[in-house]
Amino acid sequence: MKKVLTILSTLLLLLALGTPVASAAEGESGESGSINPKEIIFEHLGDGYGWEVPFSHSHRIPLPVIVRDYEGGWHVFSSARLMHGGEYDGFKIAEGGEYNGKVVGMQPDGNGGMTEYRPLDLSITKNVAALWISALVVALMAFWLVRWYKRNGMKAPRKGLGAFEVTVAYIYDGVIKPTLGTKAKKFAPYLLTVFFFILTMNLLGLIVIFPGGANLTGNLAVTLVLSIFTFLLTNLFGTKHYWKDIFWPDVPWWLKVPIPMMPIIELFGVFTKPAALTVRLFANMMGGHMIVIVLTLLIFIFTAIGGLAIGGLTTVVSLAFSLFMLLIDTLVSFIQAYVFTMLSTLFISLAQAGGEHGSEAVAEAKDSTGMLRAE
Amino acid sequence: MELFTPELGLVFWMFVSFGLLFAILAKFAWPYIIKSLAERGEMIDKGVLYAKNAKEQLDNAKVEAQKYVAEAQKQQADILRDAAKMKSQIIEEAKTAAQEEAKKVMDAAKLAIEQARKESELQFRNEVSSFALSIAEKMLKKNMEGDKAQAELVDKLLKEVENKN
Repeated sequence: MKKVLTILSTLLLLLALGTPVASAAEGESGESGSINPKEIIFEHLGDGYGWEVPFSHSHRIPLPVIVRDYEGGWHVFSSARLMHGGEYDGFKIAEGGEYNGKVVGMQPDGNGGMTEYRPLDLSITKNVAALWISALVVALMAFWLVRWYKRNGMKAPRKGLGAFEVTVAYIYDGVIKPTLGTKAKKFAPYLLTVFFFILTMNLLGLIVIFPGGANLTGNLAVTLVLSIFTFLLTNLFGTKHYWKDIFWPDVPWWLKVPIPMMPIIELFGVFTKPAALTVRLFANMMGGHMIVIVLTLLIFIFTAIGGLAIGGLTTVVSLAFSLFMLLIDTLVSFIQAYVFTMLSTLFISLAQAGGEHGSEAVAEAKDSTGMLRAE
Repeated sequence: MELFTPELGLVFWMFVSFGLLFAILAKFAWPYIIKSLAERGEMIDKGVLYAKNAKEQLDNAKVEAQKYVAEAQKQQADILRDAAKMKSQIIEEAKTAAQEEAKKVMDAAKLAIEQARKESELQFRNEVSSFALSIAEKMLKKNMEGDKAQAELVDKLLKEVENKN
């Protein structure tokens, strides 16, 4: 009885929630009479100059736009001025074309006419703001723990802080220390920062409303920068042994003398490692977001095709599936943060190899990489 | 594809934010956290080791105490047994000593009695002889003044006495 009541009330709530959103979605693309799934998906996955608020498509939290025009002058203004096709200081948000959804300006094209150009855009977009929020969350957690230690000495923290401490210990004692050994302390700050930053960004991305909702780790720019950091740390602190293995590996001489085949392959590997890091995190997180959005969109597509009855049925199925997907995404958020950290640790440790330390860790590491690839 | 071209602005801000976060945490947070975790781990390890040692020592102490008690009991039993032995020995010794002493006293007494008997015999004999002499004297005196028969009797008596001795 209780179960039936729960299901019924959930259904009613879903209908109540679904209706305004559905009508709003129809209102948005009302001219064509049908919704454009591709546009919606890319809007949600991509960046924006304002931050969406729930239940409204016309209002957004305005964020600062910072652009440099073709003459080198800086312009800083609120993104609210550009909403709804507004123009300010000669800048507007392009609709369609090469720079769809981005701030563009007009510049003379030399023939007396004006052409659209993309200024240097350092705006605090939704993603940048989410980035700062994530960084703030990570910093607050870390300093909260530091403050706890300073105040309570050897006493172990409880509850939320305890969970954070356990995670730190899990990553440090479970990933960093066994792989890096004596060098663990040197690289731990970077790896721990990476782990908690990615984890926070992933989890915040799963929250639909304000402090979350930005598809940060599903953005190539973010994952690219993270793996560039790993790349730099790996190669800047690489040992002689590591560089020797790249340019003069232990293979038969004819593989490296007339045509340096192995060195080329090894050098290629130096760049593919961070590239794999970039794409793995990006694809996993973007995929998760996309599936949830597509599942939600199915409701509106089916409603548009078959009316409210079929739409209602789809709602139930879709929501069940998106709930399932979101739960999986929560798991994936952790796994991907863990994998990125683990692989970064591994790449750094491979570059630290100098004789005694290495073969064992490498074998173990290769095992786990294989496992992750399979997954 | 917009999704696959990293936006320069975001790359820039990501570099700045992540770099800053990393710098701040690497300087002020992570080393301290790692150090504290390690310190606490060490302290817990030490505590466990200490407790283990203490328990071991306690167990050892118990065993040792039992050993001491058993030893003491054994000693007590030994002492008691020795004492009993000594007691019977002393009694035995005392008995023999007393017997010897008694025997000595008896022997001395016997000797004394013998001496006394001999002395008294001697005395008695002397007295008897003196009595006899006096009797004989008296009779002799009487018979000297009487008849010849009496003198004969005395003679006879004297002979008897002589025979006796």
